[in-house]
Amino acid sequence: MPQSEDIIRSATQQEYKEGFVTEIDQEFVPKGLNEDIIRLISAKKAEPQWLLDFRLKAFARWKEMTPPEWGHLSRLPEIDFQDIIYYAAPRRDEDRPKEIDPALQETFDKLGIPISEREVLAGVKSKVAVDAVFDSVSVSTTFREELSKLGIIFCSFSEAVREHPELVRKYLATVVPAGDNFYAALNSAVFSDGSFCYIPKGVKCPMDLSSYFRINASGTGQFERTLIIADEGSSLSYMEGCTAPMRDENQLHAAVVEIIVEKDADVRYSTVQNWYPGDAQGRGGILNLVTKRGICRDGAHLSWTQVETGSAITWKYPSTILQGDYSSSEFYSVALTNNYQQADTGTKMIHIGKGTRSRIVSKGISAGFSENSYRGLVQVLPGADGARNYSQCDSLLIGNRCGAHTFPVIRNANPNSVVEHEATTSKISEDQLFYCNQRGLAPEEAVGLIVNGYAKEVLSRLPMEFAVEAQKLLSVNLEGSIG
Amino acid sequence: MLGRDEVPRRLTLRENDDLHIVFVARPGYSGNVDFEIDIVRPGANLEIAGLYLSNNGDKVNFNVCVRHLVGGSHSRQIFKGIVGDRAAVSFDGLIYVAQDAEKTEAYQENHSILLSDGKVDTRPQLEIYADDVKCSHGATVGSLDEDALFYMRSRGIPFEEARKMQMISFVSDILDRLPESYRNDVISRI
Repeated sequence: MPQSEDIIRSATQQEYKEGFVTEIDQEFVPKGLNEDIIRLISAKKAEPQWLLDFRLKAFARWKEMTPPEWGHLSRLPEIDFQDIIYYAAPRRDEDRPKEIDPALQETFDKLGIPISEREVLAGVKSKVAVDAVFDSVSVSTTFREELSKLGIIFCSFSEAVREHPELVRKYLATVVPAGDNFYAALNSAVFSDGSFCYIPKGVKCPMDLSSYFRINASGTGQFERTLIIADEGSSLSYMEGCTAPMRDENQLHAAVVEIIVEKDADVRYSTVQNWYPGDAQGRGGILNLVTKRGICRDGAHLSWTQVETGSAITWKYPSTILQGDYSSSEFYSVALTNNYQQADTGTKMIHIGKGTRSRIVSKGISAGFSENSYRGLVQVLPGADGARNYSQCDSLLIGNRCGAHTFPVIRNANPNSVVEHEATTSKISEDQLFYCNQRGLAPEEAVGLIVNGYAKEVLSRLPMEFAVEAQKLLSVNLEGSIG
Repeated sequence: MLGRDEVPRRLTLRENDDLHIVFVARPGYSGNVDFEIDIVRPGANLEIAGLYLSNNGDKVNFNVCVRHLVGGSHSRQIFKGIVGDRAAVSFDGLIYVAQDAEKTEAYQENHSILLSDGKVDTRPQLEIYADDVKCSHGATVGSLDEDALFYMRSRGIPFEEARKMQMISFVSDILDRLPESYRNDVISRI
């Protein structure tokens, strides 16, 4: 298979290839965080008063909160929130306001993200609608017209605020309240842009929708906000990707994703997270402190699939509130940490409705000096008769200087429910390696192969292009981990 | 060691020590049960078993921490119980494997059956810093099996007895570790 050869070849040669910086004229707000900055961001985006009030209220809450310290993240530095630029945007060309800056076009071309429809229509890439976010603004959203014929709204968050304020107002912060946690409160105060998506009743979205987040400017943080609403009986497959330049400094990424899955709707949310993980000595890299949560009404289904290879620190728990009767949710995750990366990630499944079901499959891989923790909560409330959960968390250790941890919490208060959890920790066995070596695979290739096999259960759930990318990423990021 | 004896809370296991503990929380028992065990020499073997039969507002908290500070040792924790009638049981168990504690084998299990308005919180945790290890944990919280009850009742076993039989069989692997006289005493309380 030429494709697998390709993967192996790139695995042995590549470094973080998305680590370049785009030279582009950008505008910034002054460094620091206070009410004036928030007013300034809000004014720049010409936001209505209610949204500014929402931001200020969140800011007031945030000032009283302290950063959570329960994560197993010893390398999470103390963040100086006054030393961050909260808004950075490529300057618009006044003469050609409709067109995309060629430098941006080039950036996304280089990243392989189709932000022009031409390429896709010519059949070069498969059909995916993309919302591309560059630092603090969305620069392009494709296939909007075609989607709007079906009543689907897919645009940047700022546009949604302008054009569909009633929807934004109705759903914003209903799943992740402004004061939910320290980073969610920060995001609610300063969020810049993100994607907004609304699928009307009974509509099956004809193509995958995706958001692509790119951090470019130095000294900034990215605070995007994504709001996805799947109305009754609709279905959607959504993908999210992200990259950032290589820098010696840590950059903060504190996003909030909210998903509302109405009655009988079905949402698949896939993430391939490829933030800059820092160099081999653990310098630099993105601090990824993200709140993602969805709510399922009666009979709804939400599936999270994530592959994480990037960011120096990951603190992320995509969660589902199974509020409606007979709703269901899945969480499939592969988290790979190498060098000095640290990840504390997992999920929460809150069973409220009757007959709710959830399934968690988490595969952690730690190599080098990294730490990889699964942290999860499965809670069954007294009213959730017939609720069912199954969790499986496997950890794979590569090398003896890394750590793999599992911290699940199960709270069950319903005698008619069943919750199961199992976890294992192991390493790649000598026998497996020997078998591959014997057949002519170098140790690194063999590890790549074994890891891909180990993660297959999750990778196979990703949409096609994502699956290929994720496989490559897993191999690349393991490079040099065998010693 | 029997459950009636005073249990030392903090223990250290050395070379080829072999320790088996069975702790039984009978109905009416409320309290915290803490075990903190360090394994500091290779070749040690540890087995901790716990049984809880909690009802009538009992509150039992298990807090178990097993640290493998050197390699080549084994530990196994198994906690099982039946929780009903406003009782609340929590299990907080940690297996810690230090760096370079290779060839460690550590297992942890916690299974509960929940009857009417009982509550179970379980937190089985693994914290592992060595790679050549075999560690796993498992936890389940469930209810009595309706099908099994139906099977027994259709063969003439009264409902209450069928329930009781299922509960006894659920915890039988812990009961087997108890001396016979004590075992019968525990069974009579199910």
